[in-house]
Amino acid sequence: MPIHEQSLIRPENLTTHDQLVVDGVDVSGHWSTFIQTRVVSDYNEAMQDEIAALPGGENVHRCWQCGSCTNSCTVNAINPEFNPRHWIYLVRIGMESEILRDKDIIWQCVSCNKCTYACPRDVVPEGVMKALSHWLELKGHVKPSPSMVFDEVFSEQVFQHGKIEEGRVMQRFFKRTGQSLNQPWLIEMIKRMLRHLPVGMLTKLGLATLVAPRTSGWSGARAAIEEYVHEQEHKRRRALGLDALIEAAKRDAGPATAGEGARS
Amino acid sequence: MNKPILIVGGGPAGLAAAHALARVGQNSVLVEKQDRLGGAPILSGYAKLVPSGEWARDAIGGMVDRVRNDPLVDVQTGAQVESFAGQPGAFSARLSNGTSVDAAAAILCTGFTHFDSVNKPEWGFGTFPDVVTTTQVEQMISSGKGVRCPSDGRKPKRVAILLCVGSRDRQIGREWCSKICCTVSANMAMEIREELPDCHVYIYYMDIRTYGLYETKYYWRSQEEFKVKYIKARIAEVTSNGEQLVVKGEDTLVKRPITIPFDMVVHAIGMDPNVDNKSIASTFGIDLERHGYVARGNAYGNTAEASRAGVFVAGAACGPETIDDSIAQGHAAALAALGLLQPARARA
Repeated sequence: MPIHEQSLIRPENLTTHDQLVVDGVDVSGHWSTFIQTRVVSDYNEAMQDEIAALPGGENVHRCWQCGSCTNSCTVNAINPEFNPRHWIYLVRIGMESEILRDKDIIWQCVSCNKCTYACPRDVVPEGVMKALSHWLELKGHVKPSPSMVFDEVFSEQVFQHGKIEEGRVMQRFFKRTGQSLNQPWLIEMIKRMLRHLPVGMLTKLGLATLVAPRTSGWSGARAAIEEYVHEQEHKRRRALGLDALIEAAKRDAGPATAGEGARS
Repeated sequence: MNKPILIVGGGPAGLAAAHALARVGQNSVLVEKQDRLGGAPILSGYAKLVPSGEWARDAIGGMVDRVRNDPLVDVQTGAQVESFAGQPGAFSARLSNGTSVDAAAAILCTGFTHFDSVNKPEWGFGTFPDVVTTTQVEQMISSGKGVRCPSDGRKPKRVAILLCVGSRDRQIGREWCSKICCTVSANMAMEIREELPDCHVYIYYMDIRTYGLYETKYYWRSQEEFKVKYIKARIAEVTSNGEQLVVKGEDTLVKRPITIPFDMVVHAIGMDPNVDNKSIASTFGIDLERHGYVARGNAYGNTAEASRAGVFVAGAACGPETIDDSIAQGHAAALAALGLLQPARARA
């Protein structure tokens, strides 16, 4: 017998027991296959407000699901799974679990902004995609990507000193992403730099590595930038209820419920 | 004095017709079945009207006072027309209170009847006290008591409004769109959000028909300013988990079944033909159209005329209608009736 709407059955919703005996009947293997329920049993009502609190997501509540964004999407043309219209809907209605299924492809947005121009309601879908990616990261649903780590290392140095020192950026980037400095391509690159770069430049590079350069009179600018960054971060944490989440996680991990994840 | 024109029904259309006739010196007899004038907006206790935003008791109440105080309008409340005979220009009618009326023409403004949600038992009305109709929520708002769950008087945290209850439903013989429920529901959702900012409002729809200029003021505004959420789903069933109502259906955009808890479910009830339409049709010797509303005789040639010469019709008697359009049709019917009476003067 054909299975109707087979496309709706998701692999992760199929459960099979390798060894299972029910009432004396061996139903091991595919005889015990069950399809778990697809029912959505609640909405996360904070979701839309959380996305709206992040830069780019402000207009998400305007969407009326016409599909102009998906129809104009560069990425969708290549990957039909990439569907901004769908994600915007999920954000609006608060179907968090459904969004998390796609957490690894939401990042494929190339920010071409074709959707921004196609949208009849000024939702700015490209901004929503950005906010959504950001949300996934802030909530800890995805690990920071290498490029994001690089951005962090880079801006940290700029905030601190007013300028960067390439060697140090690379060092910290490699350290934070857990990459060894002892890599053949890197050693080869340094060897060739030593061989081919003019002596004057090499000296400057060497000096800079030893003495981290600073922009003079930077402390005022630094204080202002740090204050702004802190403010923005605080705003986001509050909007996403992150502090409450961390508190809850600490409580869950307390002695009473230590060990097993208490969440269902 | 001229023979009066008989107007049946004291709602927005009838009030408009009576006033329009009086303005040009034509007397009329306004017959209303209930003991007071105003029609559905007054009798059902509507709150703020769409699209003016005026309170029904002020807007329609003003129309009632105007007609009440007009010497050219003979108001007969608590009365129905029992018999009606004659020719255009010379009809005679007898009312249930014993009054006889010699009328030149008749204008039927007999309106509609609200759909009774009990006819959709799967949506829980009559079974669960917190399943209510738009009319009941209108009354909660207009009475000043605010939107509360009838079961225990608590403020709802989450409200679902189900559209097309008693409309566009062949299952129960109601194929028509009631035209105004989408707009009324969007307006109601905003009113709920305004009174209870912590309450989330979801509208479950098949299509949204906030047509014309209502689009900006209701559909867009409810989303942009009031964060009302619209979910494309025809609800299968409203049940209860013992504490809250549970709405079951399929979210058709996500292709997933949903069972979502709610504190209150509101049925956006549609407009049925007036339950008395069959007896009205036989009393006045006119036809009903296939859904049971009063049939118009001619769409373009003589607007507002029913299938019998000299009998005119206006407002929701001939199909789901807005208050504004009912008023306009009341005026149109008044003008059509006058044209029938005084053709010679018009050509002189």
